[in-house]
Amino acid sequence: MQAYITSISNISPQPTFDLDTFPGEVVGQESKFLACIEPDYRNFINPIQLRRMPRILKMALASSQMCINHSPVASPDGIIVGTGLGCLENLEKFLLSIIEDNEHVLSVLPFINSTHNAVAAQIAMLLKNHSYNTTYCHRGFSFESALTDAMMLLEDNEANHVLVGGIDECTPNFVFLHNYLGYWKDPVDNLQLLQYKTPGTIAGEGSAFFMLSNEPTDNTYAKLQSVSTGFALDNKEVIAQLDLLLQNAGLGITDLDLVIFGMNGDVYFDEIYHQLQNSYFDSSSVYGYYKHLCGDYYTSTAFALWLVSIIIRNQSVPAVVRLNAANRKQIRHVLIYNHIRNKEHSMILVSSKE
Amino acid sequence: MLRKIVVTGIGIISAIGNNVEETLVSVYGLKSGIKKLSLFDSIHNDIPVGEISVSHDDLLTLAGITTEQKFYTRTTLLGLIAAQQAVLNAGLSEFSGERTGLISATTVGGMDLNEQYYKSLLVNASFKDYLEVFDSADCAEKIAGYFGIKHNVTTISTACSSSANAVMTGARLIRNNHLDRVLVGGADALTKFTLNGFFALEILSPTGCRPFDQNRNGLTIGEGAAFLVLEAKDVADKERILCEITGFANTNEAFHQTASSADGYGALMAMEKALKVSGLQPSHINYINAHGTGTVVNDLSEGRAIEKLFEHTAPKFSSTKAFTGHTLGAAGAIEAVLSVLSVKNQMVFPNLNFTAPIEGLLLLPQTEVANANIQHVMSNSFGFGGSNTSLIFSKT
Repeated sequence: MQAYITSISNISPQPTFDLDTFPGEVVGQESKFLACIEPDYRNFINPIQLRRMPRILKMALASSQMCINHSPVASPDGIIVGTGLGCLENLEKFLLSIIEDNEHVLSVLPFINSTHNAVAAQIAMLLKNHSYNTTYCHRGFSFESALTDAMMLLEDNEANHVLVGGIDECTPNFVFLHNYLGYWKDPVDNLQLLQYKTPGTIAGEGSAFFMLSNEPTDNTYAKLQSVSTGFALDNKEVIAQLDLLLQNAGLGITDLDLVIFGMNGDVYFDEIYHQLQNSYFDSSSVYGYYKHLCGDYYTSTAFALWLVSIIIRNQSVPAVVRLNAANRKQIRHVLIYNHIRNKEHSMILVSSKE
Repeated sequence: MLRKIVVTGIGIISAIGNNVEETLVSVYGLKSGIKKLSLFDSIHNDIPVGEISVSHDDLLTLAGITTEQKFYTRTTLLGLIAAQQAVLNAGLSEFSGERTGLISATTVGGMDLNEQYYKSLLVNASFKDYLEVFDSADCAEKIAGYFGIKHNVTTISTACSSSANAVMTGARLIRNNHLDRVLVGGADALTKFTLNGFFALEILSPTGCRPFDQNRNGLTIGEGAAFLVLEAKDVADKERILCEITGFANTNEAFHQTASSADGYGALMAMEKALKVSGLQPSHINYINAHGTGTVVNDLSEGRAIEKLFEHTAPKFSSTKAFTGHTLGAAGAIEAVLSVLSVKNQMVFPNLNFTAPIEGLLLLPQTEVANANIQHVMSNSFGFGGSNTSLIFSKT
């Protein structure tokens, strides 16, 4: 099972929407939460719809449209979305109208817009697209499951081009409530995220879309080789799963030119990444990280896959994501390894297109 | 090589019973589970719902959770109970390993506890540990934790077709030889959130739903869970095979966020595609377990699609939602279990509360429980966002 990444787009807390500029200017700030830099939506959505549209749907429609515009097709053969928390803002809005106004609901719109599959459904409706359409909502597996499903559609010859997105929005209430659980650091400089050596991370959000195709095009960024997930793994099981992933791809550890880690600056949860760097991976590989750019959220691996697509195309690893000084002549094989609170472990293997 | 997919275990809990046996007793007794809401206080407590008359503590006992454990949502408990039944029914002593998976489904997950504690949480941290069980993934992770399932664990949320899509995804993972066995299903508890949502949409029946009836007046929401063990036929214990899954399709109507088209082309596309995948003709289908919510729009739209596909030879069909209520994210799996029982027991399920056919439709739903020669059953699940899924279960 493999797929070619033939188009990408990304709305994130960095200026990523305009592909040509990244990583020209990187945004740093003191915060508990990195919010997306949103584009001018009027270029993508008609103004009447725009007025009442929830923010997550605006981000989704703009980034999916951008991805399609640069892809080989005007409308895909499948639309698959991964979202850890779905349309959170509207869910909170409807929930509050029930518990604070004693069920005297004034508007049904937040209920309609709170449905987890609203993102994939709205994209289909805009395109009048009747093809396979589904939504995975499972914390740190959401985007991974969407990728796996898309690769299976291509494998089945059910589809030639599948639109896949990883999207989550953050809300003030989400940040506030999860602060009780020690999820976040006190406001920190995101660009120094790994320097604090304290528990907690920085919250984030984003909307990244990809066109996965069964044939490469001139515009192809990279080849998605495999996606593997593991639930509640201990360190030994993580290593066994990495071994299996590489073995199935016919690769050895030294074949990995770049390893992107999901380090989020949490002194406890980052421990496994350090162990793998020191005793599993090969220090001649370039090591990188990305959550200082987009914050931590359930579908942050979509940001990572976007980043890796650009790195493979440009054959250059930006300094801002580097963890070591290693150098490889070519960036051919890249592994993204992420875990969310030691529960959802995700491994995504990406290679150059040849 | 495309592998054959068989069902070897089923588990179900809904308003008409806590397991398969109780469910069948209710069906044969034509006994609906729809009654006045008693689970929680609501300004809508005169509206009938498909409520499971089992308390939180009794659900904990049913799930065999003996330790002091507060952080179980009602959705998770229902899911866990159905999953345990399915694995037991499949005769599997363990359910884990590299080529084993879990695809769960839900619409609102732990909303039952979210709406209880959210207000207090905005003021202080007393109930902070509940925060980690409000989302859609909690049920799947508790089930995965219970069985030790480490790989291919995920959750689908496509509104009212969620768990039909879980069945379909699991079936595809086996067919394409990525897995040997997979637990598929879904769970949703009754919540103020969904009750108020459907009330505000003005599609809740004040009397209890009457699917495919001319005087239908809306849907009745229910709660429940169902899981199925799917295995590759080549690894399954032949004695345990209940039926085969031969067809599935997921299409999108792309018409309206909350309503289906009047001519039912979305429903038609899903049914046609499922038949194509199975290689069957419409005339091969012996029974349809319809989506049949009891809303004015759905039943007309689905009815027209059935008439168009089957022309004048529509098979026996019924909606079982007048028994269970519309269990949202669990509905596809609950009706998949009933479809498996239809094949296994060679029977068709009755459509309660039917008195007069929908004007303009010739279709008459099955109103009695009956034995029938069943080779192939179609099960429809349609959801918000135009998410339409059809599944086909066949005798092996």
